[in-house]
Amino acid sequence: MSDASNTWQAGGERRVLIAREQLHRASALLTLLLLILGFSLASPAFFSVNNGLTILLQTSVIGLLGIGLTMVIITGGIDLSVGSVVALSGVVSAMAVKAGLPVVPAMCTGVLAGAACGAFNGFIITRLRIPPFVATLGMMLIARGVALQLTGATPISQLGAGFGRLGNGALFRVVEMQPNGFPRVIFPGIPYPAILLLIVAIAATYLLRRRQIGRHIYATGSNEEAARLSGVNVDWTKMYAYTMSGALAGLAGNVLMSRLVTAQPSEGVMYELDAIAAAVIGGASLSGGVGTISGTMIGAFIIGILRNGLNMSGVSAFIQQIVIGFVVIGAVWIDQVRNRR
Amino acid sequence: MSQHPLVEMINIEKHFGGIRAVDGVSLNVYPGEVVGVLGHNGAGKSCLMRILSGAMLPSGGEIRVNGAPVRFAEPNDARAHGIETIYQTLALANHLDAPSNLFLGRELKTRFGNLDDARMLREARTVLARLNPNFKNLRDPVSSLSGGQRQVIAIARAIYFDTKVLIMDEPTAALGPSETAMVADLIRKLQADGIGIFLVSHDMHDVFELCDRIVVMNKGRVVGAHPIGEVTKDDVLSLIVKGALPDDWTARNLEAAQ
Ligand SMILES: Nc1ncnc2c1ncn2[C@@H]1O[C@H](COP(=O)(O)OP(=O)(O)OP(=O)(O)O)[C@@H](O)[C@H]1O
Ligand SMILES: [Mg+2]
Repeated sequence: MSDASNTWQAGGERRVLIAREQLHRASALLTLLLLILGFSLASPAFFSVNNGLTILLQTSVIGLLGIGLTMVIITGGIDLSVGSVVALSGVVSAMAVKAGLPVVPAMCTGVLAGAACGAFNGFIITRLRIPPFVATLGMMLIARGVALQLTGATPISQLGAGFGRLGNGALFRVVEMQPNGFPRVIFPGIPYPAILLLIVAIAATYLLRRRQIGRHIYATGSNEEAARLSGVNVDWTKMYAYTMSGALAGLAGNVLMSRLVTAQPSEGVMYELDAIAAAVIGGASLSGGVGTISGTMIGAFIIGILRNGLNMSGVSAFIQQIVIGFVVIGAVWIDQVRNRR
Repeated sequence: MSQHPLVEMINIEKHFGGIRAVDGVSLNVYPGEVVGVLGHNGAGKSCLMRILSGAMLPSGGEIRVNGAPVRFAEPNDARAHGIETIYQTLALANHLDAPSNLFLGRELKTRFGNLDDARMLREARTVLARLNPNFKNLRDPVSSLSGGQRQVIAIARAIYFDTKVLIMDEPTAALGPSETAMVADLIRKLQADGIGIFLVSHDMHDVFELCDRIVVMNKGRVVGAHPIGEVTKDDVLSLIVKGALPDDWTARNLEAAQ
């Protein structure tokens, strides 16, 4: 809150800057609203409570991945491994369930497996000085390979109703028993994945804005050498970001596999690209130092709504790819133009 | 100045492959002393200063603080001994604002460990006002500030904390005349507080105005170390350019006494 008052004290020049800073987010938000409007006109089923909740559910996985990627991208790095880590951690959780662990500890194992992949990325990048692009590309292959090897490339199913609760359950679901004995859903409830996404987004925003590690994440991406000279532990900061990205990919993997109630070792292919796109559409800069969680959330919803809306309007998956490709390029182009002034 | 030096650098070496950027240099500073470090471009001044600030590991030699040998593996080690540096490159994170840069790596926190941005802003406002009363746009990312304002932030960062030795690598390169004068005042004030200062500068006027002693480097070696009263500007220029004093040199202050 003090931020706002200081802003006004600082005078006109600052206000212009703020305006420029917020412009990207505002334009992304506007895009989002236009999409919603357009799809609602195109297909009446789009603008309904049920479809809204479906979108929430579908976006939560990309949203979780996007949050981790935002942290990594702000440090000036990239994480291409998250899609594979999604699969690996889902598989690990399922195997833990099969091994007899209760669902919650089993899922924690999966998240830890994701965090371990992220920590490994961080280790390779900070100790061996391998560029993030290459290091995480390697992990993309390693994690996918491990997931396929562990399962023999066959899905693990029959994980029990408990395993499906995280992905399929909902808060405030209202069901009414009808006289004929069949239940009728009055309100489908807020899906757990959406609630999880909200909690993680708030926590990550807090981390980036109010905690020292967040400040150091921005500083590292802004000018790594300056951060080092100022006494920031740059290597530790990067380790932290990559480990977080891995852990969130692990969480996303659990959400996804729980929704399917099956651990699919081949799930999550190319999810990293959607997540990167979400961050970039939301204003994160691949050269580091810039990015916000709120922006990435808008970006994730733009992608989610685009996918959902195009689906509902009967557009093929191939065309969807093409459209999203252009949206990503367009978003970055707008950003470039804005920075050139 | 009878106490022992605040810091001593003894026989410092720094090699980059075949290049000897710093070649057996010894240097010290006493409390309340300003030591000018001079030399042509690429003479090795910045390397030497970066070694003392922990930003660069020496290939050889020893550093002593208050007579005790130390090893600086990273900038925090040097800072822990009260050695603060204004880097020639300024070392600012462009996307962060002035207070965030001032406190980078040493953020002020609230009781709950959150960043105390309000207090950092207040403190930054006070210390920046000492150097430049016109500094108002504190919350802007420093990339949008002028070169002089950026330099002022770098200076403020070095003097805000408990400083015993201050390394200034061309601190006034981007400053206008009034800011330069303010920095000169600041140096005198810090000197009076007993802080030892290394001043790297190409500006002869500043050097003769502020320094008690000068050390001239040429191609990585020290070619001259003199109390300021002993030499003239021409002598110093000759040291910087030729690496030697003029052939007919005699100490300026002795000359005057004759
Ligand atoms: N990281 C590095 N790698 C290789 N060589 C370096 C490195 N840093 C400095 N040098 C070399 O060491 C020598 C001394 O450089 P230094 O920056 O100390 O010069 P300087 O005296 O500060 O010059 P200036 O007045 O231009 O600031 C130069 O020849 C430079 O090329
Ligand atoms: Mg230099």
